[in-house]
Amino acid sequence: MFWSIFRFELAYRFRRPATYAYFAILFLFALLTGIYGNGPASEKAFVNSSYTIGQLLIVISIFSMLIASAVMGVPVYRDIEHNTRDYFFTYPMREKSYMLGRYLGSFLILFLISLGLPLGYLAGLPIGLGIGEFEPERVGPFVAYHYLYPMAIFTIPNLFFTGTLFFSAVALTKNVRITYVGSVLLFIGYLLANALTTDLENQKLVDILDPFALTTYTNVTKYWTPVEQNTLVPALSGNLLINRLLWVGVSLALFLFTFFRFSFQHVLAKPVEKVKKKLTEANAAISGVLPKVQQSFSGSAYFRQMLKQTILEFRNVATDIYFIAILLAGVIFLFLDGWFGNPIYGTPSLPLTYYMLEVKDFNYTLFAFIIIIFYTGEVVHRDRSVNYANISDAFPIPNWVTFGSKFLALSLVCVVLVSMILVCGVLNQTVAGYFNYEWSMYFTDLYLLELPEYLQMTMLAFFIHILVNNKFTGHIVSIGVWILMFAIRSFAEIDYNLFFFSYRPGYTLSDMNGFGHFITSITWFNIYWLSLGGVLLLIGNLFWPRGAESSGQVRLQLARTRNNRWVIGGTVALLVVWIATGTYIYYNVSRVNRYYTRDERLELGADFEKKYAKYRLTPQPKVSDASIAINLYPSDRKMDAKGSFTLVNKTKSPIDTLFLFIQSQVGNTRITELTIDGRAPVLVRKDTIHRHFSYLLPKVMEPGDTSQMIVAVAGIDRGFDNGGAPGAIIQNGTFINIGIFPSFGYPGDVISSDKDRKKYGLPEREYVLPPQTDSVGLSNFLFTNDGDWITYEATISTEPGQLAISPGYLEKEWVENGRRYFHYKMDKQIDLFANFSSANYAVQRDTWKGPEGDTVAIEIFHHPAHDRNLDRFIKSIKASLDYFGTNFSPYQFRQMRILEFPRYANFAQSFPNTVPYSESFGWVADFSDPDDTDYAFYVTAHEVAHQWWGHQVMPSATRGANQISESMAEYSALMVLRKEYGDECMQKFLKYSLDGYLRGRATESKFEATLLDNDTRAYVWYRKGSLILYALQDLVGEDHLNRALKAYVDSTAFRTKAPFTTSNEWYSFIKRAVPDSLKYFTEDSFEKIALYENKINESDYVKMADGRYKVTINIQSRKVYYDGKGNETGDGTSANLIDIGVFAADGKNDRGMTRKTPLYLRKHWVNPGKSTLEVIVNEEPTKAGIDPYNKLIDRIPDDNTKGLTKK
Amino acid sequence: MQLIIQNLNKTYSNGVQALKDVNLTINQGMFGLLGPNGAGKSSLMRTIATLQEADSGSITLGDINVLTQKEEVRKILGYLPQEFGVYPRVTAERMLTHIAELKGIRDKKERKDVVNTLLQRVNLAHVRNKNIGTFSGGMKQRFGVAQALLGSPRLIIVDEPTAGLDPAERNRFYNLLSEIGESTIVILSTHIVEDVTNLCSNMAIICLGEVIAQGHPADLVDELKGKMWSKSIERAELTDYRNRFRVISTQLKAGKTQIHVLSESQPDAGFSAVEAGLEDVYFSRISEKMDLTTV
Repeated sequence: MFWSIFRFELAYRFRRPATYAYFAILFLFALLTGIYGNGPASEKAFVNSSYTIGQLLIVISIFSMLIASAVMGVPVYRDIEHNTRDYFFTYPMREKSYMLGRYLGSFLILFLISLGLPLGYLAGLPIGLGIGEFEPERVGPFVAYHYLYPMAIFTIPNLFFTGTLFFSAVALTKNVRITYVGSVLLFIGYLLANALTTDLENQKLVDILDPFALTTYTNVTKYWTPVEQNTLVPALSGNLLINRLLWVGVSLALFLFTFFRFSFQHVLAKPVEKVKKKLTEANAAISGVLPKVQQSFSGSAYFRQMLKQTILEFRNVATDIYFIAILLAGVIFLFLDGWFGNPIYGTPSLPLTYYMLEVKDFNYTLFAFIIIIFYTGEVVHRDRSVNYANISDAFPIPNWVTFGSKFLALSLVCVVLVSMILVCGVLNQTVAGYFNYEWSMYFTDLYLLELPEYLQMTMLAFFIHILVNNKFTGHIVSIGVWILMFAIRSFAEIDYNLFFFSYRPGYTLSDMNGFGHFITSITWFNIYWLSLGGVLLLIGNLFWPRGAESSGQVRLQLARTRNNRWVIGGTVALLVVWIATGTYIYYNVSRVNRYYTRDERLELGADFEKKYAKYRLTPQPKVSDASIAINLYPSDRKMDAKGSFTLVNKTKSPIDTLFLFIQSQVGNTRITELTIDGRAPVLVRKDTIHRHFSYLLPKVMEPGDTSQMIVAVAGIDRGFDNGGAPGAIIQNGTFINIGIFPSFGYPGDVISSDKDRKKYGLPEREYVLPPQTDSVGLSNFLFTNDGDWITYEATISTEPGQLAISPGYLEKEWVENGRRYFHYKMDKQIDLFANFSSANYAVQRDTWKGPEGDTVAIEIFHHPAHDRNLDRFIKSIKASLDYFGTNFSPYQFRQMRILEFPRYANFAQSFPNTVPYSESFGWVADFSDPDDTDYAFYVTAHEVAHQWWGHQVMPSATRGANQISESMAEYSALMVLRKEYGDECMQKFLKYSLDGYLRGRATESKFEATLLDNDTRAYVWYRKGSLILYALQDLVGEDHLNRALKAYVDSTAFRTKAPFTTSNEWYSFIKRAVPDSLKYFTEDSFEKIALYENKINESDYVKMADGRYKVTINIQSRKVYYDGKGNETGDGTSANLIDIGVFAADGKNDRGMTRKTPLYLRKHWVNPGKSTLEVIVNEEPTKAGIDPYNKLIDRIPDDNTKGLTKK
Repeated sequence: MQLIIQNLNKTYSNGVQALKDVNLTINQGMFGLLGPNGAGKSSLMRTIATLQEADSGSITLGDINVLTQKEEVRKILGYLPQEFGVYPRVTAERMLTHIAELKGIRDKKERKDVVNTLLQRVNLAHVRNKNIGTFSGGMKQRFGVAQALLGSPRLIIVDEPTAGLDPAERNRFYNLLSEIGESTIVILSTHIVEDVTNLCSNMAIICLGEVIAQGHPADLVDELKGKMWSKSIERAELTDYRNRFRVISTQLKAGKTQIHVLSESQPDAGFSAVEAGLEDVYFSRISEKMDLTTV
């Protein structure tokens, strides 16, 4: 009996077109992924690496939830839907056979459908290779195991889970809609859960609870190097094993429950509810003469009817239980997204209004999209699907009444969707105790900018549903249109918003600059799309299905007869608006500003390199004195500036040509005046596309000659562009730098990716900077070739309401012609690196007093409302000046300033005695939890440290020199942080560094460089640098290392003549602090790539007779060496000095921070492999560990500490 | 006012000719449309109710050209299709009030009165506050009747209106309909011949898209007067009889097959004369067009 049911199920399914459609969907998707897939982030990993295949299979198994719901939801429902249950169940078959046959038959089909994925992918790869989407060397060999293993571990269990879930849901509830909505809800819930797991702390829990094991997979593989990504599959052990056992177990339990619970009686039973509510018939006397009524058919009556009908339509949507369910899920989603926000280093931000608004662009977009598409279909087709149209179509109302009411009802749904963002935002803020609701920001953003986008989506979906005139096809086409647009934008890399319905530039809200100039561009785009949407509505109205006609020809004919002057007039008017706004947008995006596709941009960059790289080594003069006058016009978004620069020929060759390159941050910057020693040089070559110009000098500059160059520039940020760039000169919070003036010679290559370089005919490039021995590199500073030490002064003017700032001491401030002027002057030489900032600032002042009575004026220029964390900045500056002054060298300036700038960029940058600092980077952070990292303090210390590392010690332009600037600033900041907050906060902080380093090397596209020769990799200079230097001071002693660093500063600070310092010189000083026994560590860390795999195994303790405790610690240790590509090259064989610790339960320090309570903590020489240690402690221990503070680079830092068992 | 249908043709895109040169003139009062399933009754009614286009021909209602002046027709139309639905989560009263609004009844009091009266007349007053989704088939059908009678329709088209109604409700409905029918055109399609006999002053029989008979029911019956003969035979003999006589209908009676034969004179001695009814008219007309096998 089972077999015949099973076979019937298979045969039935094989005849259903849907089976093939599902297969085709997966096949097609995988085919496209195979053709266009870029594979992992690293260019060195194969596009078909084992990692990629595994990830693809898991991700698709999640999306296959929808297919699983469709396939597994129907086998039982089929008998309910077609009413076959009424007789089918009377046949002599056993419930168990019936259920098992249907279940297994469907599941086999589901499995066969899922094979579309690997097959499609395998078919796509050769095509992608054939059409040149990727190079042959990026395709690895076919390894069947790479497909079979993840299918067995992930695909099948995941399908088993979702399939069983939906099968059981329908078999037990008899309701098939639960599968559609259930899959959407499960999907949303899954995304939600993922969104909550950005915090590093709760990863283990998430690893186990993720039903699809995607997070688990990501966590297991996240530190894989490109080579490992190509060849490894995740081992079925640890969290992954627990996860799989758990979810297969859950699925199995659910299946068994359904299996034993299922009964025909249950399926046959009519819903109890309906029976109970069954209405009784009355036998009332029939009487009453029908009253005569007055009917009126006028425009105003129609209008009123439309509004009434709108309310009814809206009620129909709003009372739909599934609508409420999806909306509610979305609200929870919005709320939690807002609640957890965007932590930086695990520290949350205040629930500012713009953060509350920005969560709408997270997963809520998807959610709103689902509601809009789905309910547009419901509303458009409702009258038809419930057969109400059969009577209502004959009512004496014009089409537009019905049509309009439906569109209005959907518009109300859009208003509800948008308002949810407001409700959740305000709720979040209130619960968090933050009452600074910025209503105007809420309303402007939601109702002026966001609502039109939802309406545009609705208009298109509405139009499609009317034209297609079939609910299911309508959904498919609507979603298809968006997928198509998305695919073109991502695969073809064309994102010209004017071509993509309802797309528009992005924008960023800022407390300082508000909506900036974004409202204008967004509004133009909104008008553009709304007018097109209006045209679609007018056409849709002509095609509004009414009556029984459904053939395209008759509908077209009907549309013609319905057409009239008003429709034509309206269409023409809207088209005029559409074309006019489109033209204006085009003018702004492509004429006033420029638009390039990614390919065009790369080609431009390649062309630039081909044309001008030949000037890379051509001698050019250097600036020795700079005197600048700059006028900023924030309201007009423009500036003009004039610089007087003394030029020196520091090379050994004569210079007759000056190459000027303009790469100003300000739009449309051009040179308005140029004289050399009072004479205009001859322009011999002009390239306005690449903004590169050659000028013949009036007089050849012999080596050692000086000249006076006066150059004036003017620039203006006009209109708006395609992407929504914030521009440089803004209404409040301008921050530009010396780059507004032209630079000399060749500024450097634009394209760094070897993949792109090959594609555009450029040679592959290992390093950007020359080796440590290169004489040209040694003669230049790392950050600019255009000048060494210079004298500097600047006069900067701005609007009267704003303060303008540039490096230097304020000499004079005055008002002239309604403008405010500031004159700044440096009394010492600085490097050629200066900013010009202007904003409406409030200023917080303080003074640091040095040990010798010297003082430094501290000034924090901040947005008036951002006064919450000012103390932290000031405290950090003082602590930094203390520490660096004591341990490195005296501070070279008399002032230290921090300037806030809008959050269009997210960084802080250290100019001489002046640090511009992004609005979102600490100013609005919520540091109320003492366990959260005080990154405002840390980042400030880092930037202050740059006054030494980058403004005193000037690294040369050679390989490895970046570490002198960035790794040293990290180290310095870590020391200041530890001094202030103690050891307790270090581990958490360093864990972020470790994570960043390991992720960075996993996505490396060339090779991982060492600390001595790295020139481009931020993960090496920040992350690895901070880890290594922190561990080094821990090994050799902080004072010991600092003495070596002090000697290094003494020897190199303010070095006026080349050769400037290199990583080799830096390393030679560091090595002086290291005893021979620890040389292995510096060699491993600076010259090689070495990673530890330390772990504590099951360990225990016993109470001794004297009341003390003997702890037996079982550890294992391994040190692995890697080459730059990520291949293991061998294990370390000698012992390493590693912390061993035994701990009591965690306590709190006096700041309220959680701290480990060591009962025993000492460094041991630990041999590779397993070893056992015995330690005696006085108090009862709870846990022990090897390298428990994660000072070493360890791929799995979480298994270093473990609870102890009592013996 | 008269409804005049001339040379009306309609062919569906699948090639089925639903209406074939239909000519009808319908006066005030009840007009019955008889015909087998798929005869084109519903197509004709939908076309008159402005919900379907015609390929050729014309329909006029007084001065109104039904095929082009749809708005005008709808203002005076009451239509109850064979199949219809309503929003399930709306109460009967609310829905009917809403439809009254859509039918242009602006005055609130008038609207309330007419809705109340109608609910009573169709015996739904006691469930006025219940969601229509919970209604039984008969209740829903009565709701449909109520909505068709809303306003002051001068043209009422009801397609199989009594399907699903129990005999009592059916009577109630016909009473209501005939009350209105005196001053309006009521087109009633049905396959219950008896209903037409009882109610209609005029009728037409449609088969395969063609009007094959029209006139007063009694007149049509008169044409068969003295020509209907009946006989009880064994089932096995039926083929033989069919070959020899014009058998227009067969019926099982007490285990035997009773046949009706159309003939100018007594076919043979076993036949006895029966009084012709409208049913005989129906079967005799239909059997001219298509092969009827009722047993």
